[in-house]
Amino acid sequence: MPDLSGTPATLLKLDGISKSFGRVAVADNLSLELAAGEMLGIVGPNGAGKSSLFGLIAGDLSPSAGQIFFDGSPVTKLDAGARCRLGIGRTFQVPKPFGAMTVFENVLVAVQQGSGLRRRASYAAAGAVLELAGLTLDANRPAERLGLLSRKRLELARALATGPKLLLLDEVAGGLTDPEVTELVGIVRQIKERGTAVIWIEHVVHALTATVHRLICLASGSVIGDGDPAQVLAMPAVREVFLGTEISASLGAPGQENG
Amino acid sequence: MVWVSAIVQGILVGGLFALFACGLSLMFGVMNVINLAHGDLAVIAAYLALGAVTVTHVPAIWSFVIVVPIFAGGGYLLQRTLLQAALNRSVLTTLLVTFGLSVVIENGLQQFFSANSRALNIGNLITESFSIGSQITIAYLDLGILVVAVVVLLGLQFFLSSSRHGRLIRAVADDREAAQIAGVSYRHVFGIAAAIAFGTVALAGIAFGMYQQFDPTIGTDQLLLFAFEAVVVGGLGSLWGTLAGGVLLGVAQQLGAVYNAADQMLAGQLFFLLVLLIRPSGIFGRKETA
Repeated sequence: MPDLSGTPATLLKLDGISKSFGRVAVADNLSLELAAGEMLGIVGPNGAGKSSLFGLIAGDLSPSAGQIFFDGSPVTKLDAGARCRLGIGRTFQVPKPFGAMTVFENVLVAVQQGSGLRRRASYAAAGAVLELAGLTLDANRPAERLGLLSRKRLELARALATGPKLLLLDEVAGGLTDPEVTELVGIVRQIKERGTAVIWIEHVVHALTATVHRLICLASGSVIGDGDPAQVLAMPAVREVFLGTEISASLGAPGQENG
Repeated sequence: MVWVSAIVQGILVGGLFALFACGLSLMFGVMNVINLAHGDLAVIAAYLALGAVTVTHVPAIWSFVIVVPIFAGGGYLLQRTLLQAALNRSVLTTLLVTFGLSVVIENGLQQFFSANSRALNIGNLITESFSIGSQITIAYLDLGILVVAVVVLLGLQFFLSSSRHGRLIRAVADDREAAQIAGVSYRHVFGIAAAIAFGTVALAGIAFGMYQQFDPTIGTDQLLLFAFEAVVVGGLGSLWGTLAGGVLLGVAQQLGAVYNAADQMLAGQLFFLLVLLIRPSGIFGRKETA
């Protein structure tokens, strides 16, 4: 009997995950391990399966084959809400705040459901998260009135509020200006310093390489590069899939990914 | 003076319409289920109240203590089983399933209780009233039902805006995916919303059974339509809108009845169509953004 849950320090383990939509494979016998507190960046061309990988880890998508282990136990059959309560937090590429609720209520729902806190303890925790995300002054505004940067902050804050052991960040820097990106990267670093493991999909490659120590390149649902960021970006196979598109996008040229 | 009286009577009966409508509105707003069996559920509640009175000899007016909890529990179970299974396929499937449920309920009721009209016996309360001036008579029962409706809607509003579970219902209604990544089990929250909807429709059904005679098919013949009209007139997603919708519908009906007793229903329907034509999002509804 092989040890499917991995070593004790392993927080997340994907074991031979496959998933396809029609003929398009978004995960092709994909295996991956992440240690507790580790920070991993993911790059790859459009349609490489980056966001789908998050869907598989967070529970929005069910794999057609393979197993997912989190914190030592199998989670493959759990739905997204249950996986969140176990400690998998995530953000969506396009923020999805509860529009009619205030910023504080958005975070409060996540604190109460994700961390199981109630009443005063939950209000205090929500306040602390808002402060970390720089949203304290917006606490009582309806979320639908926020601008893009604040929406991205709220998306991050709500994920943090669930008390995650693993945080999945899907393009938090997309569509933002350079100073705004720097600000968000600062928040992400603080999260990492608290010992939260992070997997970060990003199109703005320089935001990633400045922060992560391990980079994975995905293409057609497979890992084609895994290791030190500079080395991965220098691999011929990686350079090939990036050629012309991603590098220019990362330098701020038009044509950023939205889907 | 006869017009003023009609308006007062319309307002009184409007509370009952709103009580019917709020459960329908909640189920559509939270899980996108258009419950075509909503009116029939109210009728079941009336029959169940009749049964509770017969068996336990509680006064009819207290039968809700037995019926409402049964309905709330039943609503949770039905949502977690049949309705969730239908939702997993498509929203359209829920329309077919609730339509089927409506047919089953009506035939079942006819089988068990025959097609004869029944009523909940509330003794003298049915006729007791007081007068304002010489023309306006207000029945205690009608006033009581209106008060119950307003209290229920107030309570529901407070629950949704201020309680933890109310917040969860709003979160799931807003964005189910986002609610899940905030750690919410949306199926459970759907069940809670259904339990509330069923509880309110049970109250409405019992009130209706005291207010007038009922039979197995009156659920779709009248109640479902009134509930839909109140929701549409008031505008989806607003409980105050639902109350206003119910009241306006009641007033329109009563004003029609002043003109000609046979025109009561017609007047309500025409008013409903007029609102649809002029303000499709309802009087208090949010303007469609997409």
